Amino acid sequence: MSEESAAERLKEYSPGEEPELDRGPLEQWAAKMISNPERAYKAMFYTATVFFLVTTLFPFYWLLMVALTRQGNLQNIVFVPGSFDPALLAEGDITMGINFLAFVEVFTTVPFHRYIFNSFVIASVTTVIVIVVASLAGYVFGRLRFKFKGPLLLLVLIVSFFPPAAFFIPLNQLFNTNVDILRPVLTDGSLYNTPYAMLIPFSALFMPLSIFILTTFYSQIPDGLEDAARVEGTTRVGALFRVIAPLSAPGVATAGVLTFIAVYNEYFFSSLMTDGREHNWAPLVEGILRYQGQHEVLFNLMAAASIAGVIPVALLVVVAQEKIVSGLTSGALKE
Amino acid sequence: MADVQLQHITKEYGDVTAVDDMNLEIRDGEFVTFVGPSGCGKSTTMETIAGLTLPTDGKVTIGDRDVTNLPPKDRGISMVFQNIALFPHMDVYDNISFGLRLRKYEEEEIDRRVENAAEVVQLEGMMDRMPDEMSGGQRQRVAIARAIVRNPDVFLMDEPLANLDAKLRVHMRTELQRLHKELDTTIIYVTHDQAEAMTMSDRIAVINAGQLQQIDPPLVCYNKPANIFVAGFIGSPSMNFLEGEVTDSGFSSEHVEIEFDVDNHAARVGDKVTLGVRPEDVYIADSSSAVEDRSARFEAHSDVIEPMGNEIFVYLKLGEPGRVRMDDQAADDQVLMSVDPDVPVEEDQEMDVVFDRSRLHLFDTASGEAISHGF
Repeated sequence: MSEESAAERLKEYSPGEEPELDRGPLEQWAAKMISNPERAYKAMFYTATVFFLVTTLFPFYWLLMVALTRQGNLQNIVFVPGSFDPALLAEGDITMGINFLAFVEVFTTVPFHRYIFNSFVIASVTTVIVIVVASLAGYVFGRLRFKFKGPLLLLVLIVSFFPPAAFFIPLNQLFNTNVDILRPVLTDGSLYNTPYAMLIPFSALFMPLSIFILTTFYSQIPDGLEDAARVEGTTRVGALFRVIAPLSAPGVATAGVLTFIAVYNEYFFSSLMTDGREHNWAPLVEGILRYQGQHEVLFNLMAAASIAGVIPVALLVVVAQEKIVSGLTSGALKE
Repeated sequence: MADVQLQHITKEYGDVTAVDDMNLEIRDGEFVTFVGPSGCGKSTTMETIAGLTLPTDGKVTIGDRDVTNLPPKDRGISMVFQNIALFPHMDVYDNISFGLRLRKYEEEEIDRRVENAAEVVQLEGMMDRMPDEMSGGQRQRVAIARAIVRNPDVFLMDEPLANLDAKLRVHMRTELQRLHKELDTTIIYVTHDQAEAMTMSDRIAVINAGQLQQIDPPLVCYNKPANIFVAGFIGSPSMNFLEGEVTDSGFSSEHVEIEFDVDNHAARVGDKVTLGVRPEDVYIADSSSAVEDRSARFEAHSDVIEPMGNEIFVYLKLGEPGRVRMDDQAADDQVLMSVDPDVPVEEDQEMDVVFDRSRLHLFDTASGEAISHGF
């Protein structure tokens, strides 16, 4: 068909009613997309969402399957636990070979609750230290004018560029040294095997990020509110913690959650600053490695322990998320 | 309740001097307004009284206490801010009681005081609203309640009405005057709106370029301005100025001659002076309403006419008609006249006008200082 006649034919139809062409399903689908791009965007959105959900959640699913598999069936686990066999139901085994007891064994084999507790305490205390100190720094950098503010902020940034491992050897030396004045507080006068050996470096390492987050948030609170608080009867620090920080709740929550998660999951420093035993404040990841014996590795328990260890953080994020969202909606600073 | 004194207050930001050697005495129970153009240092002066800014030099006393280096919370002041500055994360009750709670008052005392304050500003029944659920006027009332609930010695207000719409502003103006009568507290009020200053204050402190120009009751500032700046700033529309010099017979400029006895005034022949006349003191020579003590007539023609309802503003061009000068800044031949609405005027009408001699002002052109008021 010549070009002219094709053009003529198109003229006869209004845009709504195209001529019935002989198209395959894919072609039809593509034509629909072209006439209605919204559909295409929606399809792309769902594709991307599904992709990211699968890639992030599948490892968890797999972890769960491994955890539920009985010891000795740890091969070929993909969609169901390795020991899963519906036929076992007929033999009176309600669990169908699924080892739910793994989540109990986790705590009986190794005192894993103590490891979770250790990590939780260290992470919480570090977060509190970081938020308090970074708040003070954020207030100064975000709200005050003074000489050398730029260079000082840059210095903070530079400190955060160092790989944490660079600090390890001097710190390890330091914490293994017996300091006489610490003797009344610590049993052998050194920080090794105490939570302080982790609290101190973690607070320092995760401080710069929080300082930057809080500087940004605090600088956006109108001066009038701080002035009002100071006239009403607070000091500058009082105004910071009673007015500026509460109004920056999303920023504080973000800094807090990031710090907490980073410390909670930390392994490198923790494993080297303790001997890995639970009463010496060894962290969660050390606990997981305890399921590795000389003769066998209890992969199913390691998987179960990983899941158990994730739960507190997951809860925290859910709670904090609510705070963040509520902070965003009720913030309403109309100035 | 207390008086406030500023002695040689100077505030410098780097090379910029925001407040320059300010000396002020505000009496107990007085309503004083700081007025001036934007950036004149009036807010900085207030901040030094509040303690939000420390002066580079000088001394602030409230009552008998030297408060120059005290933090704001220990000065016995409270403040209402331009941007209202309610704490958005607290409801009305918490906002008002914030200062009291910080000072660890008894709960019953707090309740009683908050209730009182809310009654004064008519906010009853809104105690659990959040600031973002309220209108601008309501928020401003909360801010005022928060300020009065602590019974401060001095009440500072930094352009509290600037963010309100025009109608509400006029309403709040009377409310504030009522409040002052009721509380009888020293109030220091900052505004750039001279109408607010004129209507509310016991005394107006006119500030320009960090320096106090004049502090006097509103009508004194209006009738006897200390210098050209005050004369031009107070009064709306603003005063007309004609530059000229002193001659044997009086004042002489390009178009206007005013006779007066030079010996009776602090001016010498040959001095460069500026004559000031307010629009309402300019009259059409032939109209019946013209004053007794009139100056010599001089020629003018009307240029633009602005009928306001209760009066008419007539922009006059002095001298021979037909000469058009576009550069308004140098328009020494332009005079604004305000006449009664029943006076018939048209555009481009030629007329003779006179000034009310008793209400003319003479200023030294170089220093801007007033030489005399009325001849």
